[in-house]
Amino acid sequence: MVQMARIETGDRPGDPGYEERLAAFEARVVRGDKVEPGDWMPHDYRQQLIRLIHVHANSEICGALPEGGWIPHAPTFQRKLALCAKVQDEVGHAQLLYRACETLGKSREELVEDLISGKAKYSNVFHYHARTWADVAIIAWLIDAAAIVNQAMMAEGSYGPYARALKRICYEEAFHLTHGYDMCITLATGSPVQREMIQDALNRWWTPIMMFHGPGDRESKHTAQLMRWRVKLKTNDEQRQMFLKKYMPKILNLGLTVPDPQLRYDEQAREWRYTEPDWEEFKRVVNGNGPASALRLRTRRMAHEEGRWVREALTAAAAGRTAPLPAAAN
Amino acid sequence: MNPAPTASPNAALSAEQSAALVDLLFRLADDELVIGHRASEWTGLGPIIEADIALSSMAQDEIGHAQAYYRLLHDLGRPDPDTLAFLRGPEEFRCASLAALPRGDWAFSITRQFLYDAAESVRLEALADCSYRPLAELARKVAGEEKYHLLHGRTWVTKLGRGTDESRSRMQAAVDAAFPHALGLFEPTKHDRTIAAMGLQPPELALRDRWADVVEPVLAEAGLSAPAGVEPVYGGRAGRHPPELAELLEAMQKVYRIDPAAKW
Amino acid sequence: MTDTQWPVFEVFHQQARGEPHVHVGSIHAPDAETALVLAKEQFGRRQACVNLWVVPIGAISATSYEDADIFQHGSDKSYREAYGYETTKRARSIGDTQEI
Repeated sequence: MVQMARIETGDRPGDPGYEERLAAFEARVVRGDKVEPGDWMPHDYRQQLIRLIHVHANSEICGALPEGGWIPHAPTFQRKLALCAKVQDEVGHAQLLYRACETLGKSREELVEDLISGKAKYSNVFHYHARTWADVAIIAWLIDAAAIVNQAMMAEGSYGPYARALKRICYEEAFHLTHGYDMCITLATGSPVQREMIQDALNRWWTPIMMFHGPGDRESKHTAQLMRWRVKLKTNDEQRQMFLKKYMPKILNLGLTVPDPQLRYDEQAREWRYTEPDWEEFKRVVNGNGPASALRLRTRRMAHEEGRWVREALTAAAAGRTAPLPAAAN
Repeated sequence: MNPAPTASPNAALSAEQSAALVDLLFRLADDELVIGHRASEWTGLGPIIEADIALSSMAQDEIGHAQAYYRLLHDLGRPDPDTLAFLRGPEEFRCASLAALPRGDWAFSITRQFLYDAAESVRLEALADCSYRPLAELARKVAGEEKYHLLHGRTWVTKLGRGTDESRSRMQAAVDAAFPHALGLFEPTKHDRTIAAMGLQPPELALRDRWADVVEPVLAEAGLSAPAGVEPVYGGRAGRHPPELAELLEAMQKVYRIDPAAKW
Repeated sequence: MTDTQWPVFEVFHQQARGEPHVHVGSIHAPDAETALVLAKEQFGRRQACVNLWVVPIGAISATSYEDADIFQHGSDKSYREAYGYETTKRARSIGDTQEI
């Protein structure tokens, strides 16, 4: 019996017994068995998952910023409460995902530091500004929709803690999607000013949304291995198609257009055709050169630094290393 | 000796009594809306993720309570909650200055929230016996949430007060800054006597004494002291507010005011 | 680098009196008292809850997945289960048709 141990021996190619252990591991994973923190796993599996879950967690906490900034401006009680709850959920999801990542051997302090130093990445979409209330509606609907396509799939993945976190996340996302769609219906069927606002927002967000699921399979170096290890169950292109199939009809039904002249449904291939996003642009953005990238990092860094005295104070209080009480007044 | 509870709105109230009830409701609603708005400004920016999540819930509680109080006003013939929140100017608001103070650092926000929640708990306890039944029912309904707010506040205040030299000094600065405004939560108004005679609520200064009994032990446990002999900051209950309320309302109302007739 | 992110507590959540406490996840907190306050919102803001437990992660002892085979049965253990008996048939044959 051990206390929450982790087995890290012989987990790299070339280590004695690695090939055998790898074969047994892959057989289990293909069967649909889940991998738990105490299990042996290839070093690459561990590292890939750390990277992937870390990016996901970072995306939630950074995603809270463009929308959170609009809570003070939400125009009705219902929207104010719903947006506050939604952004709270995003922060809650970050919490669940950081915890899942920690089970693979990184401390949360390291995970936080890697984000604010710029070393770790987060989703392309959160490198952009939410300029108007309609931006919030588009983000709340279509970006959550794109994320749900990804998350619902990943929730069936092989790593236990990540799958469990994602199941909880998917349950909460149901309200996000409904709320986001509700906001978009209201604006798209509202006054001329509102309709113009949402069309303008969609025009600006379309390209980032099309890039959300990541480069096409030819470009994605991680996809093959992640799919073999059942971390990822659908390719980026497959996810993008799922998103378009479900949401393009809804977008068009609202009387909105998308700024891609090539976008059309190919009846024969049963697929949406679109202008291939500029993946070099995508790389530049996720590497920290998007319009809002510097602001996001500055905000996260400030929150972390300004909160340091709070975390240290409660650590000291918990350890009994408290500042002495002032001398009694009487 | 409370008068018999008034079940239906408008049941046999004189103009003076009606004005007193409406004024009380606006004070309750405006306090909740404004402090809830301030708390919501921390979303995504808290010192640690778990703390962020907790404060966000508290913000939603306050904003939700505000909406409920505005609904009671709507039942008394005033416009609907969204109109009351998003179309009134600062001079029409009846919140105390404590609510609108900018959020400052975590020490300030936690201290302000604690002083406010202590006042709320004392006030809600009194309102549970309110002779206006809809308000009594609402006060009882929100009691559980307020109990959590007070628990949250006591926990944070005592631990930050006792943590490190830095946390103690920030907390004391926060108490010093917030306390005069907290006293303003109990600003006596011209309606006090009518409100007490109607059995709606005890007089403000009576509530303030009960509030002090809640707050002082917690501050003592935290190694903090309330500033002595300080003048309360009054004016909020009469519609006289510092500039930060106007700034807050401008931010809060700007999207709504793009088109107040539209559905948002 | 000093870790200021606080130690981990596992959270258990009881939906209603009479139900067992169920593990729902974990949080970072400086101590148990704060852990209860913070867990209430991270894990109790939606589902019905009447009670929460928090346990420091270091207080949990666990078996190893490598030893999962100790839970496998090496022989037929149906003698532990009601289905492992033909008693219903036998009771009927001696005139008892009521529930066992």
